[in-house]
Amino acid sequence: MKKILLSVLLSVPFWVMGQGFQVNLQGQKQIGMAGAGSALALDEASVFFNPGAVTFLEKNSVSAGVNPLLFKSAFQQAGSNITENVKNKIAPPFEFYAVWGPKSNKWKLGLGVYTPFGGLVDWGDNWSGKYSLTSLNLKAIYIQPTLSIKITDRIGIGAGFVYNHGDVNLQRAIPVNFPDGHSGKVTLDGTGKGYGWNAGIYINTLSNITFAITHKSKVITKLDGGSAEFDVPNSLRTSFPLGNTFNAELPLPATTTLGIGIPLSKSTKLAFDASWVQWHIYQDLSFDYATNTSALADTKSARNYRDGSSFKLGINHQATDKLALRAGVGYAFSPVQDGYVTPEAPDADRYILSAGIGYAPTSHFEVNASFFFEDVKSRTQKNIETGLNGTFKTLVYAPGISLTYKW
Amino acid sequence: MKKYILNSLLVAAVLFVASCKPEIESPAGTTAGTANFGKYIAVGNSLTSGFADGGLYLEGQKVAYPNLIAEKMATVGGGSFTSPFFTDAQANGSGYLSLTALVNGVPTLTPVTTNLAYRDATHLAKYTGEVQNLGIPGMRVDLAFAGPFSAANPYLERLLPDAQVGVTTYFQFIQGRNHTFFSLWLGNNDALGYATNGGVTTDATNVLTDKSTFALLYSNLVNSLTAGGQKGIVGTIPDVTAIPYFNTVTVAALLNAAKAINPAAAAIYIQTGTGAVRAATSEDLIRLPFQSAGLFGVPNASSIPYGLHPLNPIANNWVLDKDEVAKVKDYVLSYNNTIKSLADSKGLAIADTYTYLNQVKTGIVINGIGINSAFITGGAFSLDGVHLTPRGNAVIANVFINSINAKYGSTIPIVDVTQYRGVKFPN
Repeated sequence: MKKILLSVLLSVPFWVMGQGFQVNLQGQKQIGMAGAGSALALDEASVFFNPGAVTFLEKNSVSAGVNPLLFKSAFQQAGSNITENVKNKIAPPFEFYAVWGPKSNKWKLGLGVYTPFGGLVDWGDNWSGKYSLTSLNLKAIYIQPTLSIKITDRIGIGAGFVYNHGDVNLQRAIPVNFPDGHSGKVTLDGTGKGYGWNAGIYINTLSNITFAITHKSKVITKLDGGSAEFDVPNSLRTSFPLGNTFNAELPLPATTTLGIGIPLSKSTKLAFDASWVQWHIYQDLSFDYATNTSALADTKSARNYRDGSSFKLGINHQATDKLALRAGVGYAFSPVQDGYVTPEAPDADRYILSAGIGYAPTSHFEVNASFFFEDVKSRTQKNIETGLNGTFKTLVYAPGISLTYKW
Repeated sequence: MKKYILNSLLVAAVLFVASCKPEIESPAGTTAGTANFGKYIAVGNSLTSGFADGGLYLEGQKVAYPNLIAEKMATVGGGSFTSPFFTDAQANGSGYLSLTALVNGVPTLTPVTTNLAYRDATHLAKYTGEVQNLGIPGMRVDLAFAGPFSAANPYLERLLPDAQVGVTTYFQFIQGRNHTFFSLWLGNNDALGYATNGGVTTDATNVLTDKSTFALLYSNLVNSLTAGGQKGIVGTIPDVTAIPYFNTVTVAALLNAAKAINPAAAAIYIQTGTGAVRAATSEDLIRLPFQSAGLFGVPNASSIPYGLHPLNPIANNWVLDKDEVAKVKDYVLSYNNTIKSLADSKGLAIADTYTYLNQVKTGIVINGIGINSAFITGGAFSLDGVHLTPRGNAVIANVFINSINAKYGSTIPIVDVTQYRGVKFPN
């Protein structure tokens, strides 16, 4: 039965294509399993992975974790023998969860604060793609209060409201030159907010195979009145006025996930998640400047993302009462179409590998650590808008650790 | 024990991350193909020498397209490449134009007169020693065979021992250099000299070279450069209308300026090459220096404003009229047919700058840089409206490199255009 299920799942045509700015680091245990686990009531991170599973958690708990992420991307112009690398900058995706409910009752409350989208790339001020982008620092912090209810002993549902606080800092060079020859530069910096929701259902079948269906809604993040700072020669100042501001909108996509949890033995569980990331809402990146001039028009850069997808398979093995070991593999299909690959998200299909370890010295206290690795396939592209023509190759490394207190 | 596992995991992670950088494999810079870049020489005119902003000066010399190509050839067996650089003390060479103000789009161009390289009023400091960038500003295909021109042209004069001045021709000068590879981009001035003088011939530098003379002399050049079986690349001649020199001061712009003062102004009047006076159309091209000549609209003794009345038209030498444009275009096409058929018969690569600069005219985007043939803002052409900026040189260098690679199966790496500037704007 289990075998049949698995093979059916693995033969599902790759109907969905998933990554872009998505950060899949929301719970140490799940990270150790390549990000799978929506159908497992593993821990308080279910607030993110499946609000419907939260009510099945045995204990109340709080946890906090961090996954310092190193995004190592390289670029080589077509026809060049020079490889340019991003600077080593560490992005800090983090997660905080709390789950509480009266013991042996039908409901639980949860709170999650996590970073499902983001990007930190710094190519330096003088690389060959500097007129497209020199650096991007994008952060989306979701805050999600959640309610989870057991409908029956085997079925739980849950939902949470999502508030997003977004930060964007985007810098690029402008091809006008100062008297000493160096290029102009623009820095766009703003904060914004958006709203959405996260809901899920958790089903434990009689064979103890568990199923999950979750949907995290899109979150349209609006940035109003961000600062647009142009560093240009003074003779061009009237074209690029000081104190300018911009409005922009960053649509963060909805994700629908189908998850399966399979108990292989009393101590070993397999988790499989298939996610459909509805990136099609990211059609363009537009900046609407408060003051326009003949040289400074509002910009609308086509992104034309299609939907992305990911498939993740993880295993959790409780080696002893105190020690758990985890591993996972995954594959994600990029939402970025040919001709739209940019240095801000040099995306391509990617492989995911992960490992994790958990240790619980007492029944109240738990430490979990993980290592997450993504190999983004090399992709040779000529960008339709900028003409940037070359090959991107990216590797992502994210070690992580979290602490949990349970009662 | 558990702590130990955690710690070693962490250490392993750190080591792993530090060592694992993404790698990109590339064939660029691995082979010279069937060419030999051991000793490259560049034959040509001002464009080859790095002339820019109306002058030859050190910054321009350093980024001349042959120098950029030679730098990249180094990875595929290229040797050193020598150029007749001005010294740092005389870095401003012949002097050049600098953009000192830009008010409402109107530029002020000021000559740079410090640190020049003149040894007397008309002669530049001599340069002795090996030279591989053989570009001579003002050189033409016809004058490459004229002995006296090596005395008249200060850029060639400075490279010759006194005894050879006025005797040695450019054709002789470029020979005997034991080159293994060459570029030849010459002939622009055979048409441009005439065009930039408004279609008026006053001396040998503004003659429109006869088509068959061009063909004969150009084949002499190619035969000489390939005498030892050397491989090389030739460049076609750009259309004269592709440069800002003829596209900035337009008839429409002049008429708008006139209307701003006198709304009744109806037409701009020009004197054509035949001596006829007529209203100008958009097909008549006015030379860039007219912008700052201080002539337009100035009344003559009879109080008739210059250029706005048939009795006081814009003089013939300021205008490349419609018929002269057609004539120059026809000559350039003929020159280019000569160049291409000779190259094909010798199996040489062709850098088709004619076609490429026609694309630039309508606008291209390279690595996020919009480049077009607009004066000052276009980025490719320097402040004289004819010669290239460093960015323009980088773009042209890649046109040459791509053609060389395609012809000879070599993999000379391309030049990173983003590392080179356009026009410098005053701060």
